[in-house]
Amino acid sequence: MRGAFVAAILTAFVCSGCGSWSWGRRSAGPAGLGASNRQDPALSGDGSVLASVVERGGRDTLLLQEQPSGRELPLRSLRRFQPHRSPSLSWNGRYVAVLIQQGNRRLAVIEDRANGKLLRFPLPGDQEVERLSLAPSGRRLALEVVHNGINRVEVFDLANQLEPDLPAGVRSGGGAPAATGR
Amino acid sequence: MAITAAIALLVRSLALLAPLLVSGCLGTMPAPMGGLNRRLEAIGSSHAPALSDRWLAVIGGRGGREQVVLVDLERQMPVPLPGLNRPDAQPLAVAVDTSGERLAVVRQLEGRTELVLYRRGLMALQPVAMEPAGVPRRISLRADGRELAVEVSRGGVWQVDLIQVP
Repeated sequence: MRGAFVAAILTAFVCSGCGSWSWGRRSAGPAGLGASNRQDPALSGDGSVLASVVERGGRDTLLLQEQPSGRELPLRSLRRFQPHRSPSLSWNGRYVAVLIQQGNRRLAVIEDRANGKLLRFPLPGDQEVERLSLAPSGRRLALEVVHNGINRVEVFDLANQLEPDLPAGVRSGGGAPAATGR
Repeated sequence: MAITAAIALLVRSLALLAPLLVSGCLGTMPAPMGGLNRRLEAIGSSHAPALSDRWLAVIGGRGGREQVVLVDLERQMPVPLPGLNRPDAQPLAVAVDTSGERLAVVRQLEGRTELVLYRRGLMALQPVAMEPAGVPRRISLRADGRELAVEVSRGGVWQVDLIQVP
């Protein structure tokens, strides 16, 4: 009991920044031709895909890269509708949620990379979406919405829109992941 | 004659709509989670959402005083975050892992912008230095909480760093 208490104190001490844990670091690398700024990073649940927004042809454009190789992954529907912002990925990177511009409206969309389908989530005319976050399973979507000058986060159930994107070995019925991450 | 023209118009309209229907491009609005959204409304204004299946982290508050709020979506209740929020800090961005154990937070404190990692079970906060020096802004945490992607400004250029979390 006393040993466990001492261990907990030591762990908290190390976590307080006084320890010598090493933090592996690397840059996400070059963002492609002509791109200098890279913003809005989002990792897939398993860390195998990195989404970010880079400038291409003067327009903020979603870039998907396999990790750690940096190989660019293709997008179908999302090659247009710039500027893109606030990307978010599901567990294996099957679903890419992002805000796009369509005319004078900003719109939340999800591309299913397995089949190229694009799901659009239009909001009422007096609301504007600012940011989004997709749950790794793809079961829920959180939108930051501005209405009458007030920012508010709202969560939506995607159970009827998307089939779950789960870690390998996990059935859609539920249960804990067989292995989390790498 | 009029009927034939109307049928031809209908066929042409269907032909135009068919690709949209097939590609799934029509707008559909998912069901809002009413009870949860009412709970979120009670926080006041809220922004910068980060979802990780069971957990939702947001920055929210009333009267200009904002803090990080972590909501357990199964219980639809905020959980305590002792030692994370402080009155003189302004949180700017937050990310959470799928266990709800690790939160990464970018905050402004004493005129500096810093990235910290909070471990809920330990109630411990650890600063994460930017190397080379830079100003962090947006963040993303891998589902197991062991890797961070950080948007960093260095010399007027926005870059993305990937940081392995021990």
